[in-house]
Amino acid sequence: MKPLLPLASAISLILSGGLLAAAVPSGNEGEKDRWWEPDEGRSFPATLDYRNEGGTLRLLLDDGPLDTKGHPFFAAIGPNGRACVTCHQPADGMSLSASSAARQWTRKGAADPLFAASDGSNCPSLPQQLRSSHSLLVDHGLIRIARPWPPRDPAGKSIGTDFRIEVVRDPSTCNLDPKYGLAKAGMISVFRRPRPVANFKYIEAMGFAYDPKSGMPLPVDPATGKPVSGNLMADGRVASLEAQMRDAASAHLGFLKNLDQQDIDRILDFERRLYVAQQIDRTGGALDAAGAMGGPRMLQISKAGRLGSDGGIPVWSEFEAWEKTPEAEKRKLAPEVRAFRDSVARGARVFRDKTFLITDTAGINSPIGFGNPVRNSCVFCHNMSYMGMDVAPGQVDLGTTNAPFADPAPHLPLFRVTCLGKPHPHYGKTILTSDPGFALTTGKCADVGRITLQTMRGLSARAPYFSNGSAKDLGGVIDYYERRYNIGYTEQEKQDLVNLMRAL
Amino acid sequence: MRLILLASATLLVGAKDANDAVRFIACPVYRDTDAGRKSGCWLASDPASGIRYDVTAAPTKPDWNHAILVEGFVEADAGDPCGGTVLGPARVSVLEAPCTRHLIRAEGYAGRRFALPERNVRPLYEARKKPEPPFQEARFTIPFDYQGSFVVYQLTDYYVDATINYALDVQPATIEIAGHAQTTPQSVSGETLVEPAELADTRAKVIQQALVMRGVPVDRIRIVDRLPGPFVDTPFDGLETTVPRRVDVRIRPD
Repeated sequence: MKPLLPLASAISLILSGGLLAAAVPSGNEGEKDRWWEPDEGRSFPATLDYRNEGGTLRLLLDDGPLDTKGHPFFAAIGPNGRACVTCHQPADGMSLSASSAARQWTRKGAADPLFAASDGSNCPSLPQQLRSSHSLLVDHGLIRIARPWPPRDPAGKSIGTDFRIEVVRDPSTCNLDPKYGLAKAGMISVFRRPRPVANFKYIEAMGFAYDPKSGMPLPVDPATGKPVSGNLMADGRVASLEAQMRDAASAHLGFLKNLDQQDIDRILDFERRLYVAQQIDRTGGALDAAGAMGGPRMLQISKAGRLGSDGGIPVWSEFEAWEKTPEAEKRKLAPEVRAFRDSVARGARVFRDKTFLITDTAGINSPIGFGNPVRNSCVFCHNMSYMGMDVAPGQVDLGTTNAPFADPAPHLPLFRVTCLGKPHPHYGKTILTSDPGFALTTGKCADVGRITLQTMRGLSARAPYFSNGSAKDLGGVIDYYERRYNIGYTEQEKQDLVNLMRAL
Repeated sequence: MRLILLASATLLVGAKDANDAVRFIACPVYRDTDAGRKSGCWLASDPASGIRYDVTAAPTKPDWNHAILVEGFVEADAGDPCGGTVLGPARVSVLEAPCTRHLIRAEGYAGRRFALPERNVRPLYEARKKPEPPFQEARFTIPFDYQGSFVVYQLTDYYVDATINYALDVQPATIEIAGHAQTTPQSVSGETLVEPAELADTRAKVIQQALVMRGVPVDRIRIVDRLPGPFVDTPFDGLETTVPRRVDVRIRPD
């Protein structure tokens, strides 16, 4: 078996105090292919590590190991040969990195079920053998999401809308396609990154009974009548994990019938037992060394849904111990280890404490009365202890998909939204967008571009970032925020934030 | 008959003379003091007197793109952290009328460090004291902004939460909801302020929906035109002009 860490790194870790936590776990998958094919029948161990550019990702499975043979998460249960694991790869933090998608294309081309015509290509009507027909997935890690227009409620009934949507241009071709496009099929194709399916204790947690962004109680799952966190899926189109599974089975697995209840229960059981976070940094060593509490173990044992400022621990204070390490101890560390740990601890402070003016952002500056502008820091929205999600349902318009804030995206479709009633509170009557986000679920112009906040763990394993993959790397994330909100980060602060996110 | 006015239990305000109330329409100005999160100041000048007021204490903060209706009392001994006469209690309603956005620097003003308002909804993970039987009839009043049916964070939601919690705690119970709107025109800063009558029903339905979403059986809720008083007045902080913008709820345990 190959060692998990190069010898020099291992020595550095031992010297730096990242001792036991950095030891090679029993479930090291280093000797196996990091890509999980459907129906492989591997055992999913209780502890599973994968290297990535930032260091090592760790997955912890409560009550593991799990025999995946015949398990519906790992089995190709639909006709297109895909399994859930195809787009939710353990090595990619249970998401799918663009680099993994590109590697699979190089290996197998269109024969890999990842590139299924339905959503693994830019449009099913394109010639599927061509790389260019899959460019959004191969080059950007984006999956096609086809949404009905007008939107439908959970019972399938069309809901009223207060805006008109038209296709301005579409390099994917799908929105103008005679079979799959908006005009004929009444479908809107947007392209999004797969969201991680792990750490669900946090994603499903309900910290408060209300969603202050809507002014109403938490959304109710139509299937059970019970409230739900509202933090699932980029556009919040389903209320529960079970509904998400049914949606994914038909949309992504080509599974025409609903999953049976036993399959759903087995998938839910697996997903809810799984925790993912970066465990070891390539420079800083074990992320739970010297009193720090990085890594997935804390996720496994901590209470979820706590507000960092009220009832929980301050967001990313997991790394506070590295601030408080006595100088005598720090001197024993390798210089690069010390520098990295100091940087991560500073990054956590910047994340919590560096305030800036948040302006013209639906979900923050409207409709809720926080004011426009409002001065706050990253934890205003990323406020859940251990996870950095929003304790309230987190549909916010950062502008990543809307003009004038979005980065140029010539590879994506561009839509023109015309508000028919009241204008959008921050964009006016007409909006250019590559993805209307939450508005594709609510039909409301005021929701154009609002996207559900993502979890912030295991980031090193799953570039690119933002729902449309517009940030190629973690530096790109910080650069976007800097431009969008004119924050005034110093270069040191940017690097500290990148290092912090690399360590999550 | 004994009844309880639950929402008044924790927030008692001193009596105010309504004649002392300040009310005007203006474009807001944001003063960018930086004393941590939510520390900026909101200022607005009464066009009649020219006095610049500090309206930061209002639960709804201004939007610098829109005019605001300001209602409040001058707060005694409040200092001058923002460069304006401090209003507190204060209410701000964001109006449709556009404004040119204005941001001014701190200019030596310290602003205020954010403090969690008394009216805040507590998290689900915090234990909540429930009423003991025998349950009594209770009445609640839920305030809204001018022209608004949105549940205002850290004002309306506080009273909505108290109402819903009681409704859930004393089930089975009959719940009656009466919405109100300010349908009598009033002149403020040269503008006529009046709400459409149907806003009363919209507000009532918002509260009805909130009750149902939290699990109160829909068949136990009734929207009515009017409910007999008395109803609690603390949601208004003595600001009589805000009283018509409300929903009254009566909860009668079986």
